[in-house]
Amino acid sequence: MLEYDIVIVGGGGAGLYAALWAAENTILKVAVITKVYPTRSHTGAAEGGINAVLTHSVGDSPEAHAYDTVKGSDFLADQDAVDIMCKMGAAVIYDIAHRGVPFSRRPDGRIAQRPFGGASFPRTCYAADKTGFYILQTLYEQCLKNNVTFLNEWFLLSIIHNGERVEGITAWDVRNGGVHLIKTKAVILATGGHARVYWNRTSNALGNTGDGTAAVLRAGLPLKDMEFIQFHPTGLAKTGILVTEGARGEGGYLRNKDGERFMKRYAPEKMELAPRDIVARAIQTEIDEGRGCGPNGDYICLDLTHLGEKRINERLPQTREHAILYEGVDPVKEPIPIAPTAHYSMGGIDTDKLGRTPIKGLYAAGECACISVHGANRLGGNSLLDVLVYGRLTALEAVKYADDAPETNPSFAKVKDDEKRILELMEASGKEKMPQLRRELGEVMMKHFGVFREESSMKEGLEKLYEIKERAKEVKVYDTSKKFNTDLISVLEFLNLVELAPAIAIPAVERRESRGSHARKDYPERDDKNFLKHSVIKLGEDGSYQLSWKPVVITKFPPEERKY
Amino acid sequence: METVKLQVFRYDPEKDAAPYYKEYEVPVEGTLLNALLYIKDNLDPTLAFRAFCRSEVCGSCSMKVNGKTKLACKTPMKELVETWKGKPLRIDPLSHMNVIKDLVVDIDKPIEKMKTLIPWLVPDPRVVPTDPMHESIIYPEEMKAYRDQIHCMLCFSCYSACEAVEDNSRYRGPFAFSRAYRFQVDRRDIETAKEKRIRYAISGGLWSCVQCQKCLYVCPKGVKPAEDIQNLRGQSVKKGFTDKPGARKLKHFVDWIYATGQINRLYLPEEVYGNKEAREKLTKAYQEMGVEVWEVPKPTKGLMKFRDIYLEILSKENKALELDFSHVRKIDKMVSDIFKADICTIVDRAHERGESAKGLIGKLKELLGGK
Ligand SMILES: Cc1cc2nc3c(=O)[nH]c(=O)nc-3n(C[C@H](O)[C@H](O)[C@H](O)COP(=O)(O)OP(=O)(O)OC[C@H]3O[C@@H](n4cnc5c(N)ncnc54)[C@H](O)[C@@H]3O)c2cc1C
Ligand code: SF4
Ligand code: SF4
Ligand code: FES
Repeated sequence: MLEYDIVIVGGGGAGLYAALWAAENTILKVAVITKVYPTRSHTGAAEGGINAVLTHSVGDSPEAHAYDTVKGSDFLADQDAVDIMCKMGAAVIYDIAHRGVPFSRRPDGRIAQRPFGGASFPRTCYAADKTGFYILQTLYEQCLKNNVTFLNEWFLLSIIHNGERVEGITAWDVRNGGVHLIKTKAVILATGGHARVYWNRTSNALGNTGDGTAAVLRAGLPLKDMEFIQFHPTGLAKTGILVTEGARGEGGYLRNKDGERFMKRYAPEKMELAPRDIVARAIQTEIDEGRGCGPNGDYICLDLTHLGEKRINERLPQTREHAILYEGVDPVKEPIPIAPTAHYSMGGIDTDKLGRTPIKGLYAAGECACISVHGANRLGGNSLLDVLVYGRLTALEAVKYADDAPETNPSFAKVKDDEKRILELMEASGKEKMPQLRRELGEVMMKHFGVFREESSMKEGLEKLYEIKERAKEVKVYDTSKKFNTDLISVLEFLNLVELAPAIAIPAVERRESRGSHARKDYPERDDKNFLKHSVIKLGEDGSYQLSWKPVVITKFPPEERKY
Repeated sequence: METVKLQVFRYDPEKDAAPYYKEYEVPVEGTLLNALLYIKDNLDPTLAFRAFCRSEVCGSCSMKVNGKTKLACKTPMKELVETWKGKPLRIDPLSHMNVIKDLVVDIDKPIEKMKTLIPWLVPDPRVVPTDPMHESIIYPEEMKAYRDQIHCMLCFSCYSACEAVEDNSRYRGPFAFSRAYRFQVDRRDIETAKEKRIRYAISGGLWSCVQCQKCLYVCPKGVKPAEDIQNLRGQSVKKGFTDKPGARKLKHFVDWIYATGQINRLYLPEEVYGNKEAREKLTKAYQEMGVEVWEVPKPTKGLMKFRDIYLEILSKENKALELDFSHVRKIDKMVSDIFKADICTIVDRAHERGESAKGLIGKLKELLGGK
C-alpha cells in the first residue's frame, strides 16, 4: 500500500498546477499519478490561447469577461463560479509567466492578446500557436524544481470513499502490472475530458476517455450537464485533428462550395468569430443542405490564403504543418478542408464553485470537472483558464482539508474487486471485438448525439448504447502479461467510454430545448422556464442511471437572448 | 489497397528469452502511427507502443525505422515505402534506454539526468516581480534567444541517436543541455543559477559531446542541441590562457587537478617547459625506485564530487574560467585510453571497489591555500 496525504490524479494542466501549488504550500506528502508522462497530457495540444483580463487590457474588465462567459454558456454556467474564475485570470497568467511560460509579447514587452470567439475584447493570451504546450512544459519544469512525486504511467481504477469522505484510490501500475491501494486523505481528480466517446471523429488524444469521470460514476457520485459536448467547427476533414480557432482569429474565412462566406447568414456581426457552437452548426447546416465542398460535399473550406505565407508561418506554424501532414494541403496555397469534430466536454464531475464534490476530500479540476463555468458551451481560451484557476483552488482546498483531516482507513476490498475485474477481462469469451465495438460506439454517438439532435433518433441511439454496453461484457483482453499491457489499458478505457455514453445520452433526451452545444431540431428554442437548470446523473444501487436536476446560480446576469 | 510488411521488434522480458521480429502486413495509408494502430486493432492487440496525441505534440511515439529515428505520427507510410523501396521496414524501439516491452523504453533515466542540469527558471527578483499582480516585461526580440529550445517535447529521439550517450552513460543527453541552455539565455534567470548550470553541465559531460550533429538531424521539433552544447561550452570558457611559462604552469595545475585530483609528475616538465624527454626519464627513475607510476593518476572514488567542489572554489575566486576544458577533455581521453573505459565509468567502478577519496580534498586545500 502506498500512502500520501494528497493524491492528484492527472498530470495535465490542472493536475500539474494543483501539484505545484500544493507542493509550495504544504509539507504534506503529495503525489501525482498519471497514465501518461505529464508532458504528454492533452493540455499540450491546446493551441489557441488562454483568456484573461490583464492590467493593460484597456477597456476590458473581469466583469466583461464574466458576462461573455455566461452569455457564451447560454446562461447555464454558475455565475458565482464564473466570477471567481474571471477575477483570478490576471493572477494565474502572471504567475505562470513568472515561472517561465514564453507568452507572445507586444512590442512594449507586455503579454499580447488576441480576439477569440465570443469575446467582446481581445483578451486571449497566447504563446505562438502552442500555448498549452508551453504551459504544460513550464509547469512540469516547475514541478521538477519542487521535487513533486510522480507516479508516471499509473492508471486510476477506483475511488474509495465511505459515503462521507474519501479514503483512497486503487490504481494499476502500467509498467510493472498489479493493482495497488493508495491511501490518502484527499484526492484531486484532473483526468481530462471524455470527447473520445465520439471515437471516430474527435480532436482529442487517444486517451481522453473520461477515466476519472467514469470512476466517479462507478463510485455512486454525481456527474453534471453531461449532455453538453462541444463540437469544434474546424477539425481536419480526414482525421478530426484540430485547426485552432486562432486560424479564424487571425482572419481566416469559412467558405462553402460556392465560395460564399456563409457565416454572414448565421452571425452577421461576428462572422467567423462567433462562438463555436454557432459556427459548428452553421458548418453542419451548410453540409447537410448540400453546400459542402469536395466530391462528397462533406466538408467546408477554411481559407487562409489571403493571410500570406509570412503571417501564416509566424502566427500559425503548427496549423500549416498539420494541414500538410494530415490533410495533404498547404494552407498558404489552398483552403483547408474542415468539418466539426468532438472537442470538449462541458459536463463532468459535479462540483461546487470551489471544485468540491459531495464527498469530503474529493475534488475535481480541469476538463473532467463540471464546476460549472462553461455551462452549455465553453468559449475558446476559457478552458485553460479554468484548468489553472481550479487546479490552484482545489490544491489550496485540499491542503486546508488534509492538514487536519484524520487518517483514513481504506479497505483492501476494492483491490480484490479490481483484480477480479481484470482477471475476468482476460478470461472473457472474446465474442465481441473491442476495436469494432468502439467504432460502433463512436458511430452511434456521432449519428444520434452529434451537432444536431432529435428525440426519436436519440431514443434509438440510447437503445443502441445499452446494447453496446451489454455486448461489451464479451470483450476480451488478449494480452495476459503484466508489464506494459496496453491491450488491458485500451479495454479499460473503452469500458469507461461505454459507461459514460448513456450518461450523456439520457439527459440529452430529457433536455427538451436547445441550449449552447445541445441543439435539438425538434426543440430549436431555449426554454428557460423548464430547463434553466443543471442535469445531474448518477448510478443507482442497481446500476441504473438516475437523472435529476438542480438550479443554476444566477447573480448578476439575467438570462437574455444569445445573439452575435 | 496497397500494403507493406512491417517487421516489428517484439520483446516481453517476462515471457521471451530474447527479442524477435514479428511481421505484419499493413496498409500504406496515413502515418506510421496509423499502421501500428491498425496492427493493434486488427492483427495483434498484444503489441505495445506509446502514442497519445497523434498530432506530433506529445512526444510519445518516437521509434526507429530501419535504424533511423522517427516520430511515428509524423511519418507518412508513403514516404517510408518510397524511401526504402522494396526493402523490409524494421521497427525498433529507441536506443540507449532499456526496453520495457516491445517498442516501449524506460525514459526515467534520461529524465533523472536532465533534472541535474536545473532545467527550469530560477527567477531573478530584479527582473521578475515577486508581486504576483505585476507583469514582467519581456521584449519580443529577447525571446528569440530561446526560440528553438522551447520546442523540445521530450521525445528522446536525440538521446537515442547520440554518440556521447553511447560512450558515456553519465552523459546528460542532447535534449537536457538544450533545455538547460534555454535558461542560460533568459534574462529573467538569476546569475547564480546560470553559473551552477554551467558547472553541472560540465560534470554532466558537456565536453564529451563529439559534435556528430546527429541530435540536430533527428529532432522532430527543430531543436539544435549540438549548437546549444557549443554555446554552453562557449559560456564555460570565456577566457583563454596566455602562453607564458607561468600561465602554463598554472594551467597545468588547474587542469590536471580538476581532471584527476592531482598534478601530473610526469607531464609537468613537458607541459610547462616543453621538455619532451623528461617524461621518459622520470618514468624510468620512478620504476627503478620501485615506485608504482602511472602515466596518468588512477581516478578514485569521489573524483566527480571533487571536481564540483574544486570548480566551486575556483568560481568563488573568480578563476573558474581559467579551466581549459578542451585540455581536460584530452586528459579524460588519456585516462579512458589507459584504463579502457571512460572517466565516469572508472569512477563508478572505483565506487564499487570502495576506493577511498582520502587525501583528495585535503590536498586540494593545501594546494589552493598556498596561493
Ligand atoms: C486540440 C485541442 C486544442 C485546444 N485548444 C485550447 C485552447 O486554445 N484554449 C483553451 O482554453 N482550451 C483548449 N483546449 C481545451 C483544453 O486543452 C483542455 O480542456 C485542457 O487542456 C484540459 O486539461 P486537464 O488538465 O483538465 O486535462 P488533460 O490535459 O487532458 O490531462 C489529463 C491527465 O489525466 C491523466 N489521466 C487520465 N486518465 C487517467 C487515469 N485513468 N489514471 C491516471 N491518470 C489519468 C492523463 O495522464 C493526463 O495527465 C483544447 C483542446 C484540444 C483537444
Ligand atoms: S552532437 Fe553531441 S549531443 Fe548531439 S548527438 Fe552528437 S554527441 Fe550527442
Ligand atoms: S530535443 Fe528534439 S529530439 Fe530531443 S527530446 Fe527534445 S524534441 Fe525530442
Ligand atoms: S502520438 Fe504524440 S507525438 Fe506522436
